[in-house]
Amino acid sequence: MFRTKRRAWVLAAAVIAAALLVVVLVDGWATSGSRDVTDVDGNPNAVLYAAGHRPLAPDFTGTTLTGSRLSFSSYRGRVVVVNFWGSWCVPCREEAPALAAAAQRYAPSGVAFLGVDVRDTTASAEAFARSFGITYPSVSDSSSQITLDFTAAVPIAGTPTTLVIDRTGRIAGAVFGQATYAELTTLLSVVDGKAPGR
Amino acid sequence: MTDVRAPEAATTDPGPPGRPARGAFGPADWLKWGWRQLTSMRIALVLLFLLALGTVPGSILPQQGADPAGVQQYDTSHPALAPLLNHLGLFNVFAAPWFAAIYLLLFASLVGCVVPRTFRLAGSARTLPPRAPRHLDKLPHSAEYGTTLPPGRAVELASAVLSGHGFRLRRPDDPAQAWVSAEKGYLREVGNLLFHLALLGVLVSVALGGLFGYKADRLLVQGDTFADTASALDEFHPGRLATGADLGPFTITLTHFTAAYITSGPQRGEPVSFDAQITYIAQPGGPSHTYNLQVNRPLSVDGAKVYLIGHGYAPVFRVTDARGQVVYDAPTPFVAGSTGNFLSDGVVKVPGAQPEQLGFTGVFVPTAVDIGGTLESAFPAAENPAVSLIAFAGNLGMDSGPPQSVYELDTAGMRRLTAEPQLLLPGQSLTLPQGQGTITFTGYLPWVSLAITHDPGQVPALVCGIAALGGLLLSFMVRRRRVFVRARASGPGSTVQVGGLARTDASGGFEAEFASLAAELRSAHSQHEEQ
Repeated sequence: MFRTKRRAWVLAAAVIAAALLVVVLVDGWATSGSRDVTDVDGNPNAVLYAAGHRPLAPDFTGTTLTGSRLSFSSYRGRVVVVNFWGSWCVPCREEAPALAAAAQRYAPSGVAFLGVDVRDTTASAEAFARSFGITYPSVSDSSSQITLDFTAAVPIAGTPTTLVIDRTGRIAGAVFGQATYAELTTLLSVVDGKAPGR
Repeated sequence: MTDVRAPEAATTDPGPPGRPARGAFGPADWLKWGWRQLTSMRIALVLLFLLALGTVPGSILPQQGADPAGVQQYDTSHPALAPLLNHLGLFNVFAAPWFAAIYLLLFASLVGCVVPRTFRLAGSARTLPPRAPRHLDKLPHSAEYGTTLPPGRAVELASAVLSGHGFRLRRPDDPAQAWVSAEKGYLREVGNLLFHLALLGVLVSVALGGLFGYKADRLLVQGDTFADTASALDEFHPGRLATGADLGPFTITLTHFTAAYITSGPQRGEPVSFDAQITYIAQPGGPSHTYNLQVNRPLSVDGAKVYLIGHGYAPVFRVTDARGQVVYDAPTPFVAGSTGNFLSDGVVKVPGAQPEQLGFTGVFVPTAVDIGGTLESAFPAAENPAVSLIAFAGNLGMDSGPPQSVYELDTAGMRRLTAEPQLLLPGQSLTLPQGQGTITFTGYLPWVSLAITHDPGQVPALVCGIAALGGLLLSFMVRRRRVFVRARASGPGSTVQVGGLARTDASGGFEAEFASLAAELRSAHSQHEEQ
């Protein structure tokens, strides 16, 4: 009788231990990052995807703030910085000067900048562009449909998010959250591969 | 832990868990003792009570997840007490380490109690009935009669009858002995086993829901569309192992919302119905469906459920700045306060206004009436809508710093432009002093608040719950009962003794069953005598 008691006790302990182990392993697996991604400037939210591990950017068409149609496929062959922003979003306003400056600096190298205006209205968005001197176009994404399409490729968790797309239409770098000028130039120097014109 | 005990438990359990003998009490014994204590019914009940007690502060104090504004308010009104409560995690009870400790211990206690019991029950369901006692007339139910058949033949016939009634039989190992033991009602053990396994299933389902499920909220103005993706949600609370990638890629458009209210009598203003007409697309590129979302009629899409949980008014404002540019033109959701009749508060932030940013705090009243100089709402439907605004100019604090709530205006860097609140009816404009521009109240739109939940444990938990109930009913309703037959040589034939025993406390009903069985045995025996 003592032996069976002891066996049941050991069995119960083993079951609990195994369950804990599974939880720890699954948890570790679920939260660990992929090795094909490197951090930029020590910021875990700014990443570069290794060649061969770059997710394909979805194609989309949208209406710009000025009312014209824009098709993302017309950018094929160029390095594109896609910035998801909203005039209501504090970190978007904080990063806007850095994006405006980077857009100006990289314009001579042929790098295109494109905004995706999330959950916004045209009047507020235009006022934002005027305030920060942003001259590159933005497509309206008030329904978050473009964001949804991109979320299938990269884990966009909120606004702002900035993606750097290479000449083959693949996402080569991303900043999840507010981007700095330094992060943008680091990403672009890798993806563009050329020294920017001064 | 449960009242459903294995029949064997009473005889094999060494009583309540106690300390082993003095002297040899090493760390392993302490562990064993601790485990026994943890898995005892008493500790499980104490933990259950503690869990219930732990949720009390969660319902009394404002909670970080559900009501962050309430927490802030409490913080300012109780400057001495609030930091202490915060330190104890009382503003976020369900995430507090002590709360986690209680439910993890309870979980371990339940698992530790149920798993060994399950094994014991499985063993008990397999055991054969015991050997027939020597004196069957001492059993609660017994009968005796004579027959001309020899003992071996009499027991043979009895076995056939009992077997025909679905009894499980045990025959003596020694063929010279003439007895048979029969037992029935193993379904009781099956029910017991089912109950315990289902209980484990409920625990696992709840854990599954907590790990892989999510909860999200989204406010949607009539005419607007949103896609179910993390950045389009107002609140997103994924489970421990869920991420934004688990969100179903559906898209919902609110085409029309109507709320109906009682228009007369003492219940005037009470809601009659809320009706949200929506169209949705389950998968990108898929067909569009329409659905009529109501309070108790959620939409099931992509494994998620979408509930209508609230509604309100979004007055539409157009703001022109000092330079004549339209810098704001949008419906602005206002949230109804506690005063009733949808008197709603909200703010308008115009960070793009030049040269100074503009901000407004406002009140929207669906049916405006003037009661002693104060603006009140007489009815929840928009019969005479009006807004009352206070204008500010300066720095909204939106160009740097922490993210802001869209329902609060930080006036620290702003100056008030209008001394008195300004009342506007639809179409009316307010010209701001100092040439700061104008604001026009162009109209209003309804909004709805949607809760999107995904709980993969819900269906398994329901199935397990039903199974547990079924098992419990089986174990209560089915009696386990034993019948023994013994035949002794007596003269030319034999004396047949039949004894019966119901192994459950509530043995009512077995008496009649035993009597009819005994009669059947007797008639079987006498039938064969005549041949």
